[in-house]
Amino acid sequence: MAISSDLETSTATTETAAPAVAPATPEAPPAMPTPPGEHPNEAPVLAPIVPQPGKALYRQALPGVMQVPLDLVLAASRKSSLWPMTFGLACCAIEMIGTYMSHYDLDRFGIVPWPSPRQSDVMIVAGTVTKKMAPAVKLLYEQMPNPKWVISMGACATNGGPYTRYDRVLQGVDKIIPVDVYVPGCPPRPEALIDSFLALQDMIMEERSSLGRGA
Amino acid sequence: MVVEPAVEFETQDLLINVGPQHPSTHGVFRMVLEIDGEVVRDLVPYIGYLHRGAEKLCENNDFRQGIGYMDRTEYLAAHNAELSYVMAVEKLADIEVPERAQWIRMILCELNRISSHFMFLGAFGVDVGVFGTPFIYAWRERETIIDLFEEISGDRMMYAYFRAGGLAWEVPANFRERVGEVLKSARQGVKDFDGLLTENEIFLARTKNVGIISAEDAIEIGMSGPSLRASGVPLDLRKTEPYLYYDQIDFEVITAEGGDVFDRYWVRMQEILQSISIVEQCLERLEDGPIMPEKMPRMLRLPEGEVYIRTEAPRGEYGIYMVSKGGNKPYRLKVRSACLSNLQALKQMSVGQYVADAIIILGSIDIVLSEVDR
Amino acid sequence: MTTEDGATEAAETAAPDTFADTIWPDVNRTLTAVDVQPERGVLDLIVHIPPADIIRGLNMLKHDEALQFNYLRSLTAVDNEADGVDVVYHLYSVPKNLNLTVKTTLPNDQKVLDTATTVWRAADWLERETAEMFGVTFTNHPDPRPLLMPEDVDMSDTHPLLKSHPFAEIELLQGELLGHNRDAEVED
Repeated sequence: MAISSDLETSTATTETAAPAVAPATPEAPPAMPTPPGEHPNEAPVLAPIVPQPGKALYRQALPGVMQVPLDLVLAASRKSSLWPMTFGLACCAIEMIGTYMSHYDLDRFGIVPWPSPRQSDVMIVAGTVTKKMAPAVKLLYEQMPNPKWVISMGACATNGGPYTRYDRVLQGVDKIIPVDVYVPGCPPRPEALIDSFLALQDMIMEERSSLGRGA
Repeated sequence: MVVEPAVEFETQDLLINVGPQHPSTHGVFRMVLEIDGEVVRDLVPYIGYLHRGAEKLCENNDFRQGIGYMDRTEYLAAHNAELSYVMAVEKLADIEVPERAQWIRMILCELNRISSHFMFLGAFGVDVGVFGTPFIYAWRERETIIDLFEEISGDRMMYAYFRAGGLAWEVPANFRERVGEVLKSARQGVKDFDGLLTENEIFLARTKNVGIISAEDAIEIGMSGPSLRASGVPLDLRKTEPYLYYDQIDFEVITAEGGDVFDRYWVRMQEILQSISIVEQCLERLEDGPIMPEKMPRMLRLPEGEVYIRTEAPRGEYGIYMVSKGGNKPYRLKVRSACLSNLQALKQMSVGQYVADAIIILGSIDIVLSEVDR
Repeated sequence: MTTEDGATEAAETAAPDTFADTIWPDVNRTLTAVDVQPERGVLDLIVHIPPADIIRGLNMLKHDEALQFNYLRSLTAVDNEADGVDVVYHLYSVPKNLNLTVKTTLPNDQKVLDTATTVWRAADWLERETAEMFGVTFTNHPDPRPLLMPEDVDMSDTHPLLKSHPFAEIELLQGELLGHNRDAEVED
């Protein structure tokens, strides 16, 4: 309402600036509505509640409110705003970025990339973890606050993939950090990554009673 | 442009570590900057965080399996990487490649150059600070090309479509129309980028006269590709040592004079237009025919010999040095990485610049870390 | 038309004297007082220079007016097991559009060579890589740290690209490093 009234006032002012060409339009802006609190008919009425037997008290006091366990609320809010750390290692990172972009759009699942480990929930290990890189990956994992999850994206992060026979390559990131979801593929398609997030969301709901994992 | 403080203060140099995990290092690249105020005094790059032994593994796999490793060394331009490899095998084994296969290879390589340069434009936009828009534009263009590649080869990134002797299989029946659509979209994409970035005052202020490298230094350091041509050296292997049928195609070698960050951006943008023109000419010349030679052995065994094949990949000279001592595996395979040589220039470009410009200088070289480390 | 025809024709059209028969006299004239052996490569001329003369020879090739090999394409090595290690330089002349491959053979018991960074700065990282991958020591190198290998762990005796370097065993069991005891799990 406020926006539309603003618009109309602005058109009115432009017309006064150039009135010769433009045809006449309604000039007066609509009357402002009365603020709700000041309406005479809306005086707050606090009637005492008489408890009725056979029905929980909170349902009578607050009709329309559901009772759910706290862990369910926590788990549902956790799974709906998974923030993965933007963390690309190799080829899979390109497909990971491709999944964030508008063609596949991970944002619609509440999954927003975040460049800092301190505010992230999920680490996507996208690519080959070499032994030179492994300490950094482990440090990043340790910097993430609990609860945290790890998606091992692609063959290299899962077990070394095509590079597993080379001794400078770590044969799977699960040698250094715990992994929750493994995504197959070299590189996995964006659909596979989306599927892994959906699987992770299911997992969070199933594990909700633990209220997050100890480090 | 060396920035000197107006007044001399008693200052202390500060060491800043960037990477190996950093959003703007384009992968697992680490550099330690020594800064005095805002000015970079020294820069030490550290690489090797993605060294995964592609050369060693290629020496243990046969010639056909090696194609897959080549894809993964240069994952933004996998067709170009495969091309060097299969050309090395063909050269050693003396295989005659049918004409149709060569034209299709040219088309795919140029399309891959377009997609790779779009990736550069998008990522470079993010580096400069245009967060979001160019990157999303770039990915839109990339996805159209990737979709075409997927229809042809079956994979979005690791195509493994070229074979020694020709191609793995025939392209789809609607290849011409699809390439035409992709080119149309790419041309519009270049226009979008041009309007968004090229004459943007903030963009020009960030990129002009930043990270300059002279032509002599660039040659001395061994730079190649668009980064070298931005310094004014018209060195393009498609012209100087034509391979495939580049000698029958009319195109320009884009060069710029300044050798700064803006020129490296501008050269790549103009190269997209040249690539579009090359693909159009290739489509005119493309005729029906076989895509593999009549008699190809199922398992290739190469005679003794060695060859150094170099082709012009999007980032510069992608060379394959292959030594064969008989048998079905290369005895030694060396990937000459354009990114590794280009990255050597980073220190010279960055010293004396502002610390914020070090990031865009790194972005302007357009590195792929798995090609640097292999 | 084949790749080879295309490349040959290209070489002829771009600069008619690029091929082995025509570049060798120039190279031979340039490398005076250097013991140099030519070899016909598939694409480029290959010349063998003994290790003692290599830097002098490369400097001559770079500064000769007719050749001007001012661009180092690639520097690498080939491990020939019992026959030592070949260090291979791929040179290119930007003004003259010429290619040349220079090879030098080092015996296995003395893998020491002078640095080429005095000739081209491009050799810097390439030599660091060759040094750690093949165990070749480049004397007087300005920055002899490892390049691709980790710096915090001493791996100076590991040279992955030597043929004697083994491949990794594939570990089937995973999770031991997390303190996960698989045997105990079975007993439960």
